[in-house]
Amino acid sequence: MTLAAARLPPPPPVQGSEGRALAIAGAAHVVLLVALSFGWQWTSTPLPMVDEITPVEFVDIADAPRVTRPPEPSIEAAPQETTAPEPTPPEPAPEPEPAPVPDPVPTPDPAPKPEPRPQAKPKPTPPKPEAKPLDTQTLSNLINKALPKAPTKPLNTSDLAKTIQAAQPKNAAIDPRAAATLAQAIRAQVAPCWNPPIGGADVRKMTVLIGAEFQPDGSVAGNPRVISQTGTSGQNGDYARAFAETARRAVLRCSPLKLPADLYPLWKSVEINFDPEQMT
Amino acid sequence: MRIPLLLGAMMLAAPASAQLRVDINSGISQPMPIAVPTFPAATPGQTAAGSTDELGQRIAEVIANDLRSSGLFRPIAQAAFTTQVSNADVLRPQFAAWRTVAAQALVTGNVTANPDGGITLACYAYDVFAGVELTRQGFVTTAAGWRRAAHKCADLVYSRLTGETGYFDSRIVYISETGPRSKRIKRLAVMDQDGAGHRFLTSGQNLVLTPRFSPSQQQITYMSFEGNRPRVWLYTLGTARQEAISQSSAGQFQGMSFAPRFSPDGRTLVFSMAVNGNTDIYTLDLGSKRLARLTSQPGIETSPSFSPDGSRIVFESDRGGTQQLYIMGADGSGQQRISFGDGRAASPVWSPRGDLIAFTRFGGGRFAINVMRPDGGGERQLTNGYQDEGATWSPNGRVIMFQRSSRGGSPALWSVDLSGQNERKLPTPLGASDPAWSPLLD
Repeated sequence: MTLAAARLPPPPPVQGSEGRALAIAGAAHVVLLVALSFGWQWTSTPLPMVDEITPVEFVDIADAPRVTRPPEPSIEAAPQETTAPEPTPPEPAPEPEPAPVPDPVPTPDPAPKPEPRPQAKPKPTPPKPEAKPLDTQTLSNLINKALPKAPTKPLNTSDLAKTIQAAQPKNAAIDPRAAATLAQAIRAQVAPCWNPPIGGADVRKMTVLIGAEFQPDGSVAGNPRVISQTGTSGQNGDYARAFAETARRAVLRCSPLKLPADLYPLWKSVEINFDPEQMT
Repeated sequence: MRIPLLLGAMMLAAPASAQLRVDINSGISQPMPIAVPTFPAATPGQTAAGSTDELGQRIAEVIANDLRSSGLFRPIAQAAFTTQVSNADVLRPQFAAWRTVAAQALVTGNVTANPDGGITLACYAYDVFAGVELTRQGFVTTAAGWRRAAHKCADLVYSRLTGETGYFDSRIVYISETGPRSKRIKRLAVMDQDGAGHRFLTSGQNLVLTPRFSPSQQQITYMSFEGNRPRVWLYTLGTARQEAISQSSAGQFQGMSFAPRFSPDGRTLVFSMAVNGNTDIYTLDLGSKRLARLTSQPGIETSPSFSPDGSRIVFESDRGGTQQLYIMGADGSGQQRISFGDGRAASPVWSPRGDLIAFTRFGGGRFAINVMRPDGGGERQLTNGYQDEGATWSPNGRVIMFQRSSRGGSPALWSVDLSGQNERKLPTPLGASDPAWSPLLD
């Protein structure tokens, strides 16, 4: 053993060692002398010096231009731009008349846009003429798949009324059966894309309501928005934000949804409530 | 099919503003695919730790490793990338390209060699599907500090994407073991939480046990048999100064002392001391050197651990006949038993979150790591090895590290997360036991 290199502390504890040593036994005199010569602070055999922790300083870094979704063309939209002739600019007729004709592909941009640029815009709306005729068989199959047990029974008006209540308590304008069926189809497609952070302490009490707009091809228009959230407190703000983002990401990842084009007016705008209560 | 019949009525009836409402009550639980491509150099340069290009690659690897080890992320293999990130892309990533490899998030940034020999690591995280920046932070350090900067970047990303604090910029102190059981050499060792930067702190001449970090991480307290007298010691990092704390106040420290831990504010040590054949729990104020005895039962009271707010202490005692867990106020008041059920319970550690206590459950010839609430409820078994013991919490309270021994083999360090998933073995050069996780570094 070696003597302490430096820095003996202020309180002189030699007396303590001495008193204790004397109290032990007379036979320990030699040991006592050695102990006294050391004082109470010891170092053991020489040790490697361990570096202090390397300091890391936080600094601000360059502002990334806030990239928002609109200018980012969709994966297939980009190459199309070179080949597509032009987005039919000459006829700016807004045709505001609410033609009740059930147009399967509603062209939702009524703004005529007087901008001078001829073809710069990526025009997110209808690059492809998806004028699919109504395929009722496919539609039925799709809906049946999503709703396994509904069509097995004959129409029961009382059951139907209950479904109506459950699916759409307030809005009598939407056909309840269609709403329930669509809800099933959306749930079946979005749930597998939702990866909530279930490890968090507050996850059980948290829900988030997301609003999303869809294009006729089933893809999400813009970024889904958070309408409301429950289970948040002053302490779990970061967690609440991460939780809401997993819900938003689920909608984006599952895009495009495969939904019956004929019912587009029903699913053009959807509210989805994410609640992990049934997750283990 | 009645559906087509309904369509017409629907189209007419539904107003444009009609809102369809969907409830989703379950999802999936999978690691999030994340892309961590090589960080480009802001401007190519040289540092003492290698070129900026080399650093950019190693930094990306450290970050990907950290995220993977949490079990919450799945870094996508670089070979699958359809693109790399140029310095210009750092601020404007090609989201479409990252979507094609199904990355949900992108971690990128760049490395700058500073004129003073240090480096600046710029760290950005993006939500690939939403196409938005999530967070960013710059870190300035020495060239040798690049690993810490990478861990800090990983913590930033982890915290932003999970909403919990990170734990990657932290260290482990443990006992390195080698040699036959009868003549085992035990040395104090420290390493980063990912096993990098491994160093031995003691030579192995004396038996050492139960090392624990101080909150500031400037000190480690442990028990050593130095001088053939088992006592609690303090080791100060940076100066390599060792000090036996239990010899200071006149005449008070006569017995064997062991199982030390710091209080959350670092001002107090709590430990066990055997005096006249009775082992009790004591606290020592490191400033005034005042000693206080908290228990006085005839049994053995040991393994004390403070709650994160410093108000309570959990410990083990055999006062009821077998080893069980008890809780008391930090002044020794209100002692009550919290563990019941089959078998013994030992070595409790309070979670940094405060909501759980991890401990070793003995039963049926095996040891397992269990957790329960401080009121004794909600006990869950997390591990199922032959002998799993000596739990320690990650700084964010989400991961537990412990020592696992197999029959006849050397012990090793393993980690498991709170769900009991994601068991991982830590790389150590020799056998390893008695780990203690540091708090997050500043």
